[in-house]
Amino acid sequence: MTADSGCYLAVGAALFVLGGIGFVTRRNLILIFLSVELMLHGVSLTLLTFGRMHNNLEGQSFTIFMLTVAACEAALGLSLVLSLYQRTKSLDVDIWSKLSEPDLPKWDKPVQPLESRVLREERPASPRLTKAGGLPEIDDDFPVELATSTDPRKILTPSPPDDDY
Amino acid sequence: MSDSAVQGVLYGSLAAGAIGMWLATSPRTAALRVLGAFLASAGLIAAVAMFSGPGGDVTNKILFWLFAGSALLSGVLMVTSREPVYAALWFALATLGTCGLFMMQAAPFLAAATIIVYAGAIIVTFLFVIMLAQQQGRSFYDYRARTPIMSIVASWLMLAALLWNFQAWQKAPMAAAGPALTAEAATNPFSQPSDVDQFDSLRALGLSLFGDYLYAVEIAGTLLLVAGIGAIAIAPRRAEGTL
Amino acid sequence: MSPATEHLVLWLIPGAPLVAALVIALLGKSVLRERSHWPCWLALATSMVCAILLVTKLAPATFESPDESVIGAMATGYSWLKVGGMDVRIDLRADAMSALMLTMVTSVSFLVSVFACGYMHGDKGYPRFFGAVSLFVFSMVMLVLSANYLQLFIFWELVGLCSYLLIGFWFQKPSAAAAAKKAFVVNRIGDMGLILGIFLIWDTFGSMDFANVLFDADNLSLIAQDHPTRMIAICFLLLVGAMGKSAQFPLHVWLPDAMEGPTPVSALIHAATMVTAGVYLVARSTPLFMYAPQAQVFISCIGATTALIAALIALTQTDLKRVLAYSTVSQLGYMFMALGVGAAGAELATAGATAGMFHLVTHGVFKALLFLAAGSVMHSMGDVIDMRRFSGLRKVIPVTHWTFLCGAGALAGVPLLAGFWSKDEILAVLHEAGHHSDKYGNIFTAVYWIATVTALLTAFYTFRAYFMTFWGPERTPPEAGHHPHDAPPAMAWPLRILAIGALTVGAAVAVTHLFAHYFEHTPGFEPVENHVFHVGLMVQSGLIALFGIAVAWFMYVKNPGLPAKVSQGANFLYDLSSRKFFLDEIFTAILVLPLRGLAYLCFMFDTQVIDRIVDGIGALPRLLSAAPRLLQTGYVSSYALMMWVGALACMGYMLGLFHQ
Repeated sequence: MTADSGCYLAVGAALFVLGGIGFVTRRNLILIFLSVELMLHGVSLTLLTFGRMHNNLEGQSFTIFMLTVAACEAALGLSLVLSLYQRTKSLDVDIWSKLSEPDLPKWDKPVQPLESRVLREERPASPRLTKAGGLPEIDDDFPVELATSTDPRKILTPSPPDDDY
Repeated sequence: MSDSAVQGVLYGSLAAGAIGMWLATSPRTAALRVLGAFLASAGLIAAVAMFSGPGGDVTNKILFWLFAGSALLSGVLMVTSREPVYAALWFALATLGTCGLFMMQAAPFLAAATIIVYAGAIIVTFLFVIMLAQQQGRSFYDYRARTPIMSIVASWLMLAALLWNFQAWQKAPMAAAGPALTAEAATNPFSQPSDVDQFDSLRALGLSLFGDYLYAVEIAGTLLLVAGIGAIAIAPRRAEGTL
Repeated sequence: MSPATEHLVLWLIPGAPLVAALVIALLGKSVLRERSHWPCWLALATSMVCAILLVTKLAPATFESPDESVIGAMATGYSWLKVGGMDVRIDLRADAMSALMLTMVTSVSFLVSVFACGYMHGDKGYPRFFGAVSLFVFSMVMLVLSANYLQLFIFWELVGLCSYLLIGFWFQKPSAAAAAKKAFVVNRIGDMGLILGIFLIWDTFGSMDFANVLFDADNLSLIAQDHPTRMIAICFLLLVGAMGKSAQFPLHVWLPDAMEGPTPVSALIHAATMVTAGVYLVARSTPLFMYAPQAQVFISCIGATTALIAALIALTQTDLKRVLAYSTVSQLGYMFMALGVGAAGAELATAGATAGMFHLVTHGVFKALLFLAAGSVMHSMGDVIDMRRFSGLRKVIPVTHWTFLCGAGALAGVPLLAGFWSKDEILAVLHEAGHHSDKYGNIFTAVYWIATVTALLTAFYTFRAYFMTFWGPERTPPEAGHHPHDAPPAMAWPLRILAIGALTVGAAVAVTHLFAHYFEHTPGFEPVENHVFHVGLMVQSGLIALFGIAVAWFMYVKNPGLPAKVSQGANFLYDLSSRKFFLDEIFTAILVLPLRGLAYLCFMFDTQVIDRIVDGIGALPRLLSAAPRLLQTGYVSSYALMMWVGALACMGYMLGLFHQ
């Protein structure tokens, strides 16, 4: 081990562990996804350091493959997230808990929709894109019907809301 | 510093970091959470400092601490941020920090590639976050960390184990690995130094990839193609007026 | 005749009905339908011709053979089962006894099947009926042709199965289904005895072939000396089997209920294919029984008891077929009486078996006739068989009347008819046994007197049924329609042929001792030197028969009011007879109810103990999984956490490995 590798390894381990914490504690599908990427960063850094320690390029090559696989994973993962979102109109991962034992007490209390004072007293200042272009007004019932429907064909190809459109 | 002092500072800073994480994740007031995040990253940085630092001159040291510090701090903030958009931005910063460290580890190409790939991915992800999650206002599920204590305890145990292991290596690089592993390392092709002179040149990496790993590169390319097709197949068609 | 022809003839006897059964089973419902009787007729006619060939040509050709064991005809089959020293072959062997019996079985079956074509016309199960009849005849023929006890047992069971199928032919009727079940279950009791007897034979003789067990006289006497008690046990067990199949008291209860099947089936069961199997088994095993005189005396006693009780029950039955059914039971009792006389002396055994088998053959003819005639009555009366609902039918259905009269005369023992000769021979043998033996003389004398009384009762109840049906004022039930019609040709001709048989068969073969001479050639039997007629006994039994008929005429034609008065006067006795001595009720009380209680105990044990254990075993994994299933939350995060902890554990283990 070269003299200066220890700190790099330590940073890699710390990033990996932070990603792990994020993976377990976050409930947002996209953030879970990002946590995995953070773990990958930690691993990449460790691999690079090992390669440097051995004075060869294996670590770098390996990391390039990891990058490739991460790109694949991002493409597939995002399309999965998208289709999951289409079904429920929510990114909450806890909605997808059908595998649970039927009569089990939930870990979490059922979460109320956000009308809590916590929300009101905290800032509603997240940046928001303005509505793009001139999309027609959407019928309010339409997405709800989509969300409650379980027939995948119906979700994929809903009848257009307006015939002369 | 003596060994025991190093040990004490290491595990003490780890404990402080754990407490900071707990403060950062649990739903307290905003000030406490920010304090917790800084405590956690400070603890982590202190723990890193207990390892043999980066060699080279002062510039090198400053750069290292800059990159490592920003990576760790933004990592902590990304994990604990309640706002998905901010989390995504923190992730971008963590990526940048990591790429700096890549650069310092003589991997400039990887640093550049990671920035390009992840920046692209991050932009896309970022847009998704905004368009999906923020469409109807903020989402309640970003406000509640799931099982924070258990995950922090488990993760910090793992971190402690890893760091302890690195320390053991640092003290006795080969002896710690045991005679059998040492013997194996002598013959393992992945442990042999490369015969290239320019360790950090793109040319050397290119030779390695398209020489030693040609088939793997081709397979990875195919995999990428298949994943692209798969993503298009999986993604739901866009209905009128919906995403 | 060449051996190949001999084989062919022998194999055709069971083969033709089997093929017919298969053809009808496969094609009957879809192709043959109302023509389903043709394969059956053809097969049974083939069997009959072959049986007649056998009895006239094949068997006599070997009678003078010096080697006793090959007497008769033999057709080798194949080795069916080979276990250790046991080699069970499916072979056909025929000797004088089986040849005679085969002739009776196949010819009666053929006539019955011809009759059934008219009788069953238009029934939904027409193909099924003829298929089952073919199978029934095949089973019975194979039983008679068996060369060893195990083969006999197989076809014995098959006969039982076919009887179940045919008695329950109209299975939609609950009474028919119950009767079929009863016949099957009661037969099982006997079959258990038979198979135990066969096991014991195998254990004792090391073989089940008739040739080794029955016909090897030296070996038989040696073994009998070594195992005297075992011989008695074997004989009693075989006897239990025979009692079940041949409806001997107390296992006779299934036979009257078997009336629920179509009438041709009754004719088959009573005359040809079923109840005679037990008699055949005992007669066939006579060489064994000779070493167990106790069993033989028991046979006679059981036969006497059965004959008397059945005759007494038959006195008061109002169902024409039921009267005939009890008369069958009674006549089977006669046959058993005759088969037991070997106990009085070895030289009587042949005469007894001859008398029994002779009665079996004549009885087969006239009982088939009577049943078919009763079926014809039923046919024209619109399926009404209660004798109180019709009378004076002799003008309405003349063919049936005359043929029934022939059968009734033969059954009653009117001189010179079939039943007279065979019954007389039995009485003569019993009489002789009574005088012959010191040890069992008294018993056989008692049996003889019971037989004589039963003969009187037989004549009375037979002609009671005859007079009630065909004499008196002409009455028909409304079910018969306005113009009851006599039997159509397909039914009339079998009746006529059987009537001629009932009139002549006894005289033809008894006067010349043709039957006895032929029968003596059966291996295992000693020839009898001189055949004599007991003229005194003949006159006596003739007078008894005529007296019984006269009493019946007096009570049911001359003074129609008399029977009611008699039944009023002897109320208890009348009840006893008409309720069949309460035997069904007694059986219910002493057998069915305790068994039901036992079954209830078993049921409770099953539900309360075994089911609980099984449920407990099922509950154990559920109990064990109570804790782990809490981990199955369905949340991705919890699974990730567990994976995380697992990775931590793996890492800790590996670090420990490296840093030892």
